[in-house]
This record gives sequence, structure tokens and C-alpha cells, in this order.
Amino acid sequence: MKTRARATERLAYLEAFTQTHRRLMDGPPALREAACLRLQLPWQFAPLRPGDVFAGRLNALPLLFSPEDSGVGYVFHADRLVSWIDRDALTRAERSRLERVATYWARYRTDAVVRRAYPAALSAGLPSDAWTDEPGIAFPLYRMAGATLDYGKLLRRGLPGLAEDCRSVSDEVLRAALGQAVGLLNGLCRRYAQEAERLGEHELNTTLGAITDRPPETLREAIQLVWLFALVSGASNFGRADAYLGPFLTADLASGRLDQHAAQELVTAWWRVIAERNTVFNGRVVIGGTGRPDPTAADAFARLALEATRQAPGPEPQLSLRLSDDQDPGLFDTALDLLGEGLTYPILYDDATNVPAVMHAFGVPRELAERYVPFGCGEYVLEGHSFGTPSGVINLLEALRQVVLAAPPGGFATFDGLINAYEACVERHIAWLAEQQKLEYDVVAAEASCLYFTLLYDHCLERSRAIFDGGVAHLGGTLETYGNTNTADSLTALCACVYDQASLTFEQVRSALHDDFTGHDAARALLNTARKYGNDDDTADAMAARVHEHACRATAAQAERVGLDSYLVVVINNHANTILGRHTGASPDGRHAGEPLACGNNPSGGADRHGLTAMLRSLTRLDPSIHAGTVQNLKLSPRLFSPAHRPKLRAMLEAYFDQGGTQLMVTTVNADDLRDAMDHPERYPNLLVRVGGFSARFVELDRDVQLEIISRTCHGAT
Amino acid sequence: MRLKPGSQGIVFDLQRGSFVDGPGLRTTVFLKGCPLRCRWCHNPESQRFAPEVVDRGTPSERRVGTRMSVGGVMAVVERDRAFYEHSGGGMTLSGGEPMAQPDFTAALLSAAHTLGVHTCLDTSGHAPWDQLRRTLPVTDLYLFDYKATGDGVHRELTGVDPTEVLGNLRRLTDAGADVRLRCPLVPGVNDGDEHLRTIARLAEELPVRGVDLLPYHALGRGKRRDAPVYPEPTADDRARWEELTGFPVTS
Repeated sequence: MKTRARATERLAYLEAFTQTHRRLMDGPPALREAACLRLQLPWQFAPLRPGDVFAGRLNALPLLFSPEDSGVGYVFHADRLVSWIDRDALTRAERSRLERVATYWARYRTDAVVRRAYPAALSAGLPSDAWTDEPGIAFPLYRMAGATLDYGKLLRRGLPGLAEDCRSVSDEVLRAALGQAVGLLNGLCRRYAQEAERLGEHELNTTLGAITDRPPETLREAIQLVWLFALVSGASNFGRADAYLGPFLTADLASGRLDQHAAQELVTAWWRVIAERNTVFNGRVVIGGTGRPDPTAADAFARLALEATRQAPGPEPQLSLRLSDDQDPGLFDTALDLLGEGLTYPILYDDATNVPAVMHAFGVPRELAERYVPFGCGEYVLEGHSFGTPSGVINLLEALRQVVLAAPPGGFATFDGLINAYEACVERHIAWLAEQQKLEYDVVAAEASCLYFTLLYDHCLERSRAIFDGGVAHLGGTLETYGNTNTADSLTALCACVYDQASLTFEQVRSALHDDFTGHDAARALLNTARKYGNDDDTADAMAARVHEHACRATAAQAERVGLDSYLVVVINNHANTILGRHTGASPDGRHAGEPLACGNNPSGGADRHGLTAMLRSLTRLDPSIHAGTVQNLKLSPRLFSPAHRPKLRAMLEAYFDQGGTQLMVTTVNADDLRDAMDHPERYPNLLVRVGGFSARFVELDRDVQLEIISRTCHGAT
Repeated sequence: MRLKPGSQGIVFDLQRGSFVDGPGLRTTVFLKGCPLRCRWCHNPESQRFAPEVVDRGTPSERRVGTRMSVGGVMAVVERDRAFYEHSGGGMTLSGGEPMAQPDFTAALLSAAHTLGVHTCLDTSGHAPWDQLRRTLPVTDLYLFDYKATGDGVHRELTGVDPTEVLGNLRRLTDAGADVRLRCPLVPGVNDGDEHLRTIARLAEELPVRGVDLLPYHALGRGKRRDAPVYPEPTADDRARWEELTGFPVTS
């Protein structure tokens, strides 16, 4: 009976949500969204548990409104539905009602609406969405990822202040919907307050009560409000937490409300709920850097943040440290301690390079560029100011392969002919992806107002426009490029073997690729002797720079044409290098079919043979001022962190950043441990590795992803 | 045309970003060819004075040794200048035995010095003093091997007589050179009490900058498949080494 009651209740939710959506189909999207959220939130937010320090825990719903819950806007997960509702507990009639819900959402879920809106030429250019399962050059993605809200404003204004701000919005409909959104969040706080009271969690009860009445005054209130706002909005990255929470921390410490230990417990408790949310690729918390209004207070929070990562180690939060002169130098030392302990955090960013680079790439003045934050796997946005969801994937290596395989008989007469054909192919696909990016924003704007984002993004309320309907100050887009390094090394090998030395003919290379090098050992050996990116070699690195600059400039050039404020490459790499590699045939850099592509900006595994400094210098050869974030991994032996070597390691990282390095992600492991962990996973439950733009427990990764990480060069104390 | 003596040499490997070959981050230039035959040598392929193919017929078959010019080496060394400046590092000549290519070694050290790059010479000391003396004005630090105590033992373990080695060590310190003693220690091979006490005594007698006790590692850099393998030191070995020498074992 209980099972049946639960199933029918859930069916009722699905139907009510669906009917609301249908009923308000032709009305203003803002009101429809608010009405759907009203139905959704009670289901989406799980009850408080005894001992919770912060309220707010999400249930995974099969049907909901969300900017980026494995979908965009109105999201329907057929796979989640199976485990969420017990079909056997439903009558035949109820099951067919459930089918009608599924049928409705197959058509009206927002990603399907976006796909249907493709003009014929775009459909032909981007025929498939199945980037993880099918070979291809370019694929679209459907999500509004990377919202990094102005939490500083949230904390200054509080919920009553936000409600007041809404009243100044001139558009009547938007004003009403935004007001409802704030009201829903207020209601959620009150619901949790009551639950806390029932559980005897008095402090939590007081905290939740306080934030419904006034702006937060304590660190606990501030974190609670940020946490609930993030959950209700669907935002999964936290921006510059030290900047917006630091003043609350120092006020609490000064007044004696908190001592250092209690403050640490709060921050660590927040870390634990972020980890429990388990977004896999998100959960960024940024500390350090220029442009924080109160650097001393922010540093105080940053120190707690680093310690929280030590106390609650795991894949999330993805703690990211911006290095600048405007902060306690001790933060960098502590960062090295943590990295030496194998925590993979913090990820390091250098403001001296990144701020000017962002100014150039985004076309913004310094004070805005200082608001850059990496989200997700490492894409930059301007906190509270710009949106830049990655809406496409391009596999540069597959583009080159197809150009080589489809070349006229005898191949291209000159290397210029070859590279021009490759670049034209890439440009064609980038143009489609740019159109898709803008189209996706437009369709989402027509479908929804993303009310919570609208509340905390610059200019939206002043312009009285929803975020994607002309509200956001800077509407950017980002394009994930993959295979950059393999493409560059392939072009270097083709240039050397086919054109400069004529040691191979074009047709020999084509046949070798076609046959995945089977029976072409000599050809593969020749291609492999070519210079490789990652050795500070001018020839190989210049080719990498050329491939990088071409992709970046071709992408940036599309912004104006499609109507975006910026459209920028991100070389962020989650584990797509391995996934795309599965469906990418053999390549002229000697890579076999199915093998992973190099990760991010890194050299191909094992190709960097001239030492760590040579590899780091190669990384700095790629212009940082024409993209919106790249990732570079470093796999280091723990020996480099020993007292004897540590000053050298620090100096090495400083020299890398001084020479224009933008970012580094460090995995510290004994080379043998990874292999041993594959054989004996039970012995390594907590072995953390940086995959690409995210960290993971090594033993939980797919086998080919594990092998790809093992294949990367491990730098020891040699 | 005849090349100037020392303008070219045979390089076995160029390792950038080394943490272990002197102060700071180093670019280590391994010169090919060595008159010694140390039993524990990790790199037997560095011993012959000519390029060669090693591990022939195996998957790890490779060519070892390249003829390089001073300018060619310095072009690589100069690339890491920023790393040297941040870390107090520079160029280290190692081998093989760099003093076995004395003209090339002197030319490299001199070129680095002219460029303002800190120089280390990692040597067994087995070289005519006249040759070693030439390096004095252009070498900032000598990493001087002290491998075995006693004439017979030294000959047995390294293949050469120690008289010249010890003489050179004294002559270098007498000349005011900065010297660190580098003592590779292989358990059961050259870690007897007498040797360890002699290390301590030398360090006391001579104005050396310090002593590095280098524990034997089975997995050395570029190890050849047929290189000999000895047991790695135990914690007890390390404790005894430290006790008898008064110096820490390098990690």
C-alpha cells in the first residue's frame, strides 16, 4: 500500500508539472517557470536529517526545471524515471497516464525544442547529439552551465532586499515571477526552519529564520543562504567564496561569535554538503586573486578553505587558488602542502597572466576581468556578469583525419594545401557550433527566464529582462576543443615525413591510417620520430601554437556574426579526451585507433621526454589571451615535495607562471601506486587523481580513463 | 676545415629541470664516455666514447649518444634561464665522466659562465690535474665523487687507482674551489664502516661545502636492461650510514 501510495503521489507530481507546463505554454515563460518551480521544490528538496549543519539536500527528480541537470530548462530523464517511480505499483490506466507524460516531454523538454529549432543547414552540419557514442567532428551540448552568481549581492541584500529589488523591475510579468521566485525560496527556508525545530536543531532553526527576515549577519547565515540559493537556482559553482564570505568570518571572530575552531567546522561542513551533492564536474570554489574588496578578510577565509579541503578530501569542492601579489603568500605554501599530500587541490591560477588575458579575450576592462572565475572543468566567466555555457564539442583530430582520408588521389601537393583544407574543415564546423550556441540561448530565453539567475546577474533587473532575453551584461559562449595536441603532432609529422623529407608518400600515410597501422610498422616508426609538442621544441611547439591560434581565432570570429558578446575556445577537457578517442581512428602522430587523445593542453602521454621545465615551457607557448580557459595537468612524484626538493618545486612553479603559465593541476602519486590500484582497488579507496578538469577517485574511473592517466609522464626527482 | 678543440663532444643525454644535480633546478648535460667501470653503474651505455646502439634486437633498442656543438648545448641550457633564476640553479656537467672530454667540458663551462649561468661539474676526479685545473675559473661548484676507501677496494669497485682522485680532491680544495662530496653507497658493496668513517674524516679535514650520501636505487635513470642490480638500502643501512658519517642520506 505504501509503495502504491508513493507511486501515485509521484505520478500526481509528474502530471501536475506537465499540465502546468502545457496550460501555460502560450503565456509568458517567466510565470510558467515560477508555477513549475512551485510544484517542483517540495519534491526536489529532501527533508532535513538530524545533525545537519546546513539545510538543503537535493533529490534527483526525473522531471524538473533546471539550467544544467544533464539537460537544459525543462529536463526530463527517462532513465531516472525508471528508478523513481515503481510502475508495478500503478494500475494499467495509471501506467498509460505515465506514458502520456513521457510522450509529452519527449517533445517539449527544452533540449528537444532546441534541436527542433535547428534550420535545415544546421541539422545537416550537426546531425548527431551522441558525442559519447558516435564518431564525428562536431557535436552540440544542451545546458546552461557555469552560472556563477553574484553571491556578494545576495548577501548584501538578503531575501527581503532581493524582494524589494524585484519590485523595481518595470516589466510587470517578470516582476511578478521574480517576486514569486524569491517567495518560494523564502518558503523553503521556513519549511526547513520548521523541520529543524522538530528535530531540535535550534541553531539551524534560528539561522533559517534569520535569513528569511533580514540579510545574513553571521558566517553561518551567509553560507546557509548561499547554499540554498545555489541549490534552488541550479547553480553548481560558487565563485569567489573568500571574497563574499571573508567579512562574515572576520566579523564573527572579532565579536567572539565564533572561534577559529568553530569557524573551521562550519566551512568544513559546507565542504561536506558540496561533496555530497556530487556534481562530478562542478563544485568550484575560488579563493585568492586580485580585486577582492577586503583581501585580509578574504585570506582568512581562504586559509579555512584550504584546511577544509584537507579535512574533507574528495573530488569536490574543486578548490581553485588564484595567485596574485594581493594576498597572503602563505596561501601558496599551504597549497603546495595539500598538493604534496595527494589531494589534487587547490588548482592553481596565476592572475598576472590571466587578468590581462581575460581583458583581451572577453574585451572587458581590468576591473571586470578581475572577476574571472573558472567554473566546471575550467571555463572562465566573469562572476555575476558574463554567461558562457559550453555548448559544443569539436574534435580537431577527427577533422584532420577526415581531411587526410578524403584527400584527392595522391594527396595534397603541398603542406599548405593540407593545412588549409584542415583549417577550412574546422572553420565550417565552428560556424555551425556558433549558430547552435546562439540558437540555444534564444530557445532557452523563449522557454524560460531562469529567474534565480536573473536575480543575481548584473544588469538583468535594471534592464528588466530575463538573463537570456537581453538581461545579462555579457552573453558569451564557449566551445570545447579536443585533440589539439594530437592534431599539432600529426601535422608536424606529416610536414616532416611527407613534405620536408619525403620519407613517406601521402598515400602511404593514408593507407596506414586506414589500416590502423597494421602492416605499416615502418610508416608508423617514421611518423613517431617526428618532433612532438611538450619538449620545448620550436618546430613542434610552433605547430601547436598554430593549431591553437587557428581554433581560437576562428571561434572568436563567430561571435559577432551570430550575435554573442564573445565566443571562445575552452581547452578544458573532462574525460572527453578518452571518450572521443574511443571513436577516433588512427592518426598521423602514430596514435592507434581508439586510443585516448592528449588531455587538455598537455603533451601526448610519454611524448615529453626532455624534462619538466621543457614541458612547462611548451605549455606557455599557447597564447592565453584568445580563449576562455585551458587546463594543464602535472603528474608529480611525492618525492618532489620532500623538504630537500620542495623549494625547487616552488621555484619551478613560480618560474612557470612568470613565463606566462596560466594554470596548473597537480596530481601527486607514486607511479607504481596507480598500477597497483588497478589490480587492488580495495587498497586505494581514496586515491585522488586529476582526470582533466575534474578530480576523481582513481578506482571509480573507467579502465581506459585509468590507463590514460597512467600513460601520462610522471615527473620524479631525476 | 679543422674544428677548434672542444667545440664538439658526445652527449649521452640532456636532462632539463633536474632536482638532484646541484643547487636549484639544473639542466644536466651527460657526456658520453667514462674511464671508470663502477660495478653499480646505472648507465653502462654512458661508458663508451662513441655513439652506439644499445639493447639491440629488443623493444627498447635505441641509439645512445649524439655529437653536439657547444653552441647546440648552450642553446638548450639557455632556455631554462628563468627556472635557474627562480631556483638558484644552472647547468651541471655529468656523465659518463665529463673530464674524459676535457676540451668540450672546459668549453661548455666557459660558455655557461660567459652567459651568467651557474655551473656544476659532477666528476669522479679521475683526470689529469692539468685538465681539471683549467675548469677552476669557470666552475661554481664541484660535485666530487668519493666512491671507495682503500687502493685495492677502489680499483676493484671502480677499475681505477684512487691516488689521482684523492690528490685532485685536495688540490681543488687547496685552490679554493667549492666542492661537495658525492658518495654513492651500495649496501654490502661500498658501505663498510671504514669507508663511512673516512667520508666523515675527509669532510672534517677538507673545506668541503657538504656531503651527499646517495643511496643506491635499483631503478636508475635510463637504466639498461642488463645493468647489474643490487639490494636497495634498508632503514638500518641508512641509519648506520648517517651515524658513521654524520651526514643525512639524500632522499
